Amino acid sequence: MEYQLYRNTTLGNSLQESLDELIQGSLNTDRFCDNVWTFVLNDVEFREVTELIKVDKVKIVACDGKNTGSNTTE
Amino acid sequence: MEEDAYLELYLDRCAAQDDLAPAMSHLFSPVVPYDVYLSNQSSPETVFNSHLSGIKELSNDFSSVDLSFLPDELTQGNKDQNVTRNQHEIEEKYKTQNQQSKLASPGKQDTELGSNGSSLSNSHSHLYPDGADSEDSSPEKTNSDTLSLSSIASMTPMNPVSECSGIVPQLQNIVSTVNLACKLDLKKIALQAKNAEYNPKRFAAVIMRIREPRTTALIFSSGKMVCTGAKSEEQSRLAARKYARVVQKLGFPARFLDFKIQNMVGSCDVKFPIRLEGLVLTHRQFSSYEPELFPGLIYRMVKPRIVLLIFVSGKVVLTGAKERSEIYEAFENIYPILKGFKKA
Repeated sequence: MEYQLYRNTTLGNSLQESLDELIQGSLNTDRFCDNVWTFVLNDVEFREVTELIKVDKVKIVACDGKNTGSNTTE
Repeated sequence: MEEDAYLELYLDRCAAQDDLAPAMSHLFSPVVPYDVYLSNQSSPETVFNSHLSGIKELSNDFSSVDLSFLPDELTQGNKDQNVTRNQHEIEEKYKTQNQQSKLASPGKQDTELGSNGSSLSNSHSHLYPDGADSEDSSPEKTNSDTLSLSSIASMTPMNPVSECSGIVPQLQNIVSTVNLACKLDLKKIALQAKNAEYNPKRFAAVIMRIREPRTTALIFSSGKMVCTGAKSEEQSRLAARKYARVVQKLGFPARFLDFKIQNMVGSCDVKFPIRLEGLVLTHRQFSSYEPELFPGLIYRMVKPRIVLLIFVSGKVVLTGAKERSEIYEAFENIYPILKGFKKA
């Protein structure tokens, strides 16, 4: 559970880089405070089967929940 | 350039273990600005601090206290690039010098490296006439040194080619610390800074990242900071300054005290497989090899005090260095030993 400490290690850095790559360079910022993750992404494409939505800026706020995580985007 | 200084100083030390006073040892520390230390024999940190506190006395305005004494980021970035370029040049030259390992007449473009390369090749023989005295007087860098060194080099015999490895270890990671000298509100930093993590339940520091140079910093509420992930001394310093600037822009009176490189990690490849079992038998007092625990042999070199991880494949990791030269020196020390344990 005490993973925070390892964020600064080689592994942690690699994971962070993977996160950046996964979002394919769109990740502007990431923040974690009070158990709340905040991501800001730029130039994002939301693709569903029928629809395609392109957006300049997406802010994702994610909380860690025991039962479910709640996500909101604006 | 500073990067010039590293290699040259390492070579000087090899060359002049007995006779030459390490007049330029203070140049070793990667503390900037370079020119401040040329005329000052005291430790870089104290010079740096006195310089810094001198400026602080002049101005009450915190924002001008900040990093204004340091070149602005643009210049620093350029300087860093130049330094990196020079660093590469130096590494290449170091490599070619190693391969030649002859007393080529110092009629090269870069006479410093020419003569120093020759003196490196003689480092093991310790045969230096007392003509090196002229170096003691001058705290200034190179010109007088190169002339005296070139005369020394022409007088001393050369070492056989096999003693020089021709391989330069590449730095992979630098860990450094710096004191921002003010109490910090970590929550505020985590909420306002761009790429920051803060989970006080798990770890009592803000973990911040920047993209260029790609590094991670641990920032503590005491104002102390650890910066990891840089590939060179200058990059580590630049990154630490960038973090300090971020903190400062958030409204804290951050300073930049006691920047110190705590650890440097390098790696390289000897390009042949190694008999680790043989090595641990003959170098029992330095080695520990437990293949069931870890596939690499852990070699704890005494001088310089460096730990090497040596693998069957021929790859070598060197760590525990405070200075670049220690990595180079450790590898030059281990290379002939490893050659003796080449497989098949």
